[in-house]
Amino acid sequence: MGLKRKQTIAHWIATIILTLYCLIAIFLIGNLILSSFKTKTDLVYNTFGFPKIFTLDNYRKVFLEDGFIRYFYNSIIITSLSIISLLFVSSMTAYGIARYKFRYKSVVEMYFLLGLMFPIQIAILPIFIILRSLHLINTYWGMILLYTANMPFPVFIFSQFFRDLPTALHESAIMDGAGEFRIFRQIMMPLSKPVIFTVALISFVQIWNDFYLPLVFLSRKTVRTVTLGIYHYLSNFLAYWNYVFAAASAALIPIIIVFFIFSDQIIAGLVTGSLKE
Amino acid sequence: MQKRKSYIFFILPGFLIYTVFMIIPLFSAIYYSLFSWAGIGPKIFIGFGNFKKIFFDPQISPVFKNALRNNFVYMSIAVFIFIPIQVLLAYLIDKQIIGHRFFKLIIFLPFVISSTIVGFFSLLVFDPNIGFLNTFLDAVGLTYLTSSWFGDPGKAFYLLVGVIGWQGIGVGMVIILANMKSIPEEVIEASIIDGAGEWIRFWRVMLPFLKPSLINVIILSSIYALTQFDLPYIIGGPTGGINGVMDFMNLFFYRYAFGDAYFGQTAIGFGASISVVTFSIILIIAIVQNILLKNILHRD
Repeated sequence: MGLKRKQTIAHWIATIILTLYCLIAIFLIGNLILSSFKTKTDLVYNTFGFPKIFTLDNYRKVFLEDGFIRYFYNSIIITSLSIISLLFVSSMTAYGIARYKFRYKSVVEMYFLLGLMFPIQIAILPIFIILRSLHLINTYWGMILLYTANMPFPVFIFSQFFRDLPTALHESAIMDGAGEFRIFRQIMMPLSKPVIFTVALISFVQIWNDFYLPLVFLSRKTVRTVTLGIYHYLSNFLAYWNYVFAAASAALIPIIIVFFIFSDQIIAGLVTGSLKE
Repeated sequence: MQKRKSYIFFILPGFLIYTVFMIIPLFSAIYYSLFSWAGIGPKIFIGFGNFKKIFFDPQISPVFKNALRNNFVYMSIAVFIFIPIQVLLAYLIDKQIIGHRFFKLIIFLPFVISSTIVGFFSLLVFDPNIGFLNTFLDAVGLTYLTSSWFGDPGKAFYLLVGVIGWQGIGVGMVIILANMKSIPEEVIEASIIDGAGEWIRFWRVMLPFLKPSLINVIILSSIYALTQFDLPYIIGGPTGGINGVMDFMNLFFYRYAFGDAYFGQTAIGFGASISVVTFSIILIIAIVQNILLKNILHRD
C-alpha cells in the first residue's frame, strides 16, 4: 500500500521520539554487557566507555567463587524439565478437549481457562502447604510440578491448533488400525511442531525469568536459580556491583539471543487467541 | 470429532495436576482464611475474624488501604495512560513509519528481561550517588534537577509505575497491533475515498474494529495491576519503600504469609484472608469490566 508508507511530519516526529526511547533499552543492555568485562576501578572512572582492560575476572568470581555455576545448573534443569513436562501434559490435555466430543465439554474448557484469570500468586499459600506436606519445598520436582500445573495458556494455544486440524486425518488413521495414542504420537505430534516450538519459547522466557515462585519455594542456596542469585547481589548492591554486571549479563545473553532469532514466533504465540471474543 | 472414551486418558493427567496444584489451592484459601493458624500447631476457627482485622484493625487496616489504593492508582494509570499509548504505538507501527520493525522489536524487548535485571537497571539509572541520571544531569549543568528518585516519597511510586510500564508495554502493543492488521484493507480505503481525515478515520472506522483486543488488554492489564509483585519487591523492598509508597496488596500478603521476620511467625490464616480479598476484587473488576466494555464498545 503506497498510502500507508507516506511519511508525514507527524510520522517523522514519532520516528525521532521512538528512536530515542529505544536507545534506552539498547544503551542499558549494551552498557550492562560492556561493564561486565571491566575492572572495578574502570567501572568507576569509565562508566560509559569500552573496557580499558578487558577482564574475565568478574565472571570467574561470580561463577566459581559465588556459586553461580550452581545457580545456572539449577535454572537450566528446572527450566528444561518444566518445559518438557508442560509440553507433554498440556498438549495431551488440549488434544483430549479439542478433538473429542463428550458431555460437559464446554465446562471442562472453561475450567482450564479459569487459571488465566487468577494468577498462581493468589493460590500460593495453600500450594505452599501442599508442597510442604509432600516434602517438595526446595526441590526441583516441586518447581516442575508447579510450572506444569500453570498450564491454562499452553492448553489454550494447543486447543486452538488441534481444533483446526481436519478430522479426515484421524479417520483414515483409525481405518489403518492405529490406536488413539499412536495417532496422537505419530500423526498429531509431528504436525504440531510449530505450536510445540511456540509454547516452548514462551515457557522458556517465563520460567527462566520467573522471580516469585523461586523466591517462595527455593530458599536453600543449593537450589537457588539465577534470578534469585542476582536478587541476592542486589540486596547488597554496593559490595558486589561489579559482579552484578557479570551475573546479569550471563543470565540475559541467552534470552536476548533467543528473542532476536525467534521474536516473531514469541510475539505471535502471545497474541494467539487474544482476538477471540 | 471423535466420540470415543479415550479423551479421558488424554485429559486426566493434566486435569489432576491442574486441579491439585492450581484450582484446589485457589479455593482452599477461602477455607484457611477462616482460621487463626501459624502454619504449624493448632488451627483455631475464628470465622471472619481475619477479615475484620484487615478492614478495621487500627494497625493493619491503614496498611491494607494504602496498598490497595496503590494497586488502584496503578491500575488507572495502566488503563487510562498505558493503553492509549499502546494503541498509539500499534497505530504508528501499523502505519509502517520509518523504523517500525526496529521499534516493534525494541519496545517489546524489555518484556523478556527478568525483573531482577530490570530492577538492577533502575538502580543503575536512578541511584542518587552513582546513577546515570544524576551523573548525566550534573554533566550537562542541570544539577538542580537531580533528585534522590526512589528515595523521594513523592516520586518513587510514579517512577516505579514507569519502570513497570517500560518492562510490559510491548505486550498490549503487539496484541492491539495484531488486531489492527486484521482490519480489512477495503474498509480503510473506503473511508479515505470518503474524504475522512486521519483522526476521524481512527475514531470512527478503526476503533470499533479494535474492540476484541482492547477488551482483552484492559482486563489483562487490570489483573496484572492487581497482582503486581516483582518490581515493587525488588526496588522498594518487602515493606514497600519509605512510608509504604511502593506497597501493593501482594507485598502486604507476602509479609504476613512468608515474611516471618516481621511478626515472629508466619500467619497462614491471615495471609489467606488477604489473598481471598485480592481474589474477590479481581473477580468483581473482571465482571464489571466485561459488562461495561461490551456495552460501551457495542454502541458504535
